[in-house]
Amino acid sequence: MNVLLAVLVVGLGSLLFRAVPLVGAHRLPVRLAEAAGFAGLAVIAAVTVRSVLHHQDGSIAAAPLVGALAVGVGLLIAFRGRSVPVAVGVGLASYLLVVAALSSLR
Amino acid sequence: MTERLAPEALGRAGSPGAGQLHAGIRAMAPILLAYAPFALVVGASVAASTEPWAAWAGTWLVYGGAAHLALLDVLAHGGGWMAAAAVGLLVNARLTAYAAAMAPAWRSEPMWRRIAAAVMLTDAPWALARDRARNAPSYYFGAAITLFVAWPAMVTAGALIGSHISATPVTDLVTPLTLGAVVVPQLRQRPVAAAMAAGGVTAAVTWQADTGTALLLAGSVGAACGVLAERAR
Repeated sequence: MNVLLAVLVVGLGSLLFRAVPLVGAHRLPVRLAEAAGFAGLAVIAAVTVRSVLHHQDGSIAAAPLVGALAVGVGLLIAFRGRSVPVAVGVGLASYLLVVAALSSLR
Repeated sequence: MTERLAPEALGRAGSPGAGQLHAGIRAMAPILLAYAPFALVVGASVAASTEPWAAWAGTWLVYGGAAHLALLDVLAHGGGWMAAAAVGLLVNARLTAYAAAMAPAWRSEPMWRRIAAAVMLTDAPWALARDRARNAPSYYFGAAITLFVAWPAMVTAGALIGSHISATPVTDLVTPLTLGAVVVPQLRQRPVAAAMAAGGVTAAVTWQADTGTALLLAGSVGAACGVLAERAR
């Protein structure tokens, strides 16, 4: 019953988070919408940074550092105009290459 | 519901809206590959739950992998439903910012389309559609419907086979890489760069805080910095 209650409460709350600003879209000031857009992008940046900082890999030391390097390479590729799958592929390949290089040094 | 969301209803066939709808589908399709490992992890967590059917229902009801995973994690570690719900709500609170940012482009849309858009709102469709002023609603629907259909299917696959797969550490980086790659081209706009830099720095400073609190802080600081940078232009 605990799981069902938690899912229902989060589901209802999440629906309100999503729907209230859109249902009342004509009443929402443009400036507030602009600020919300910046907030959304800041949250995505935060999700990226947190995922890297919390990254764990038992096979190497300093996993967050290697993760940051790989994500940085992938995002640089995306910034320079490559598609999302290419950027993700290059980022993941960079990670695997660095892990292989570090493993061979041991 | 499916009938109402048919392409003809969302963008008349042959119209610019229909073209945008298909463009949104095409943009989201490769991102699904990147979301798959995360969906499998969520699915494995659903299967391990004490109430797997209720946990599975969260795939649509919660419709946010991070919040879904967080609430199941709290329950798996002995937390009560109120603690789990609080964590899930904190993580999904960012959706308010996404919805508010969409509002100006959706003012003239019929109510049913705004509600349908809200039900399917999450990170990737919002980020993909954000930079499109013209026909953004149709483009958004293309991306959002694609994920709304595929995500539950992938989570269900994870629930069925999740115990047979072991995630490698590199899969942890797929989601941040994907979301980051979607929005990083927007860094060319100075206010966006300010907002994202502020969000990233705030996340680094608060990295030991719980996810929901850290994201709320990052969003608030990022919004303030973005607005200030916009005014300074």
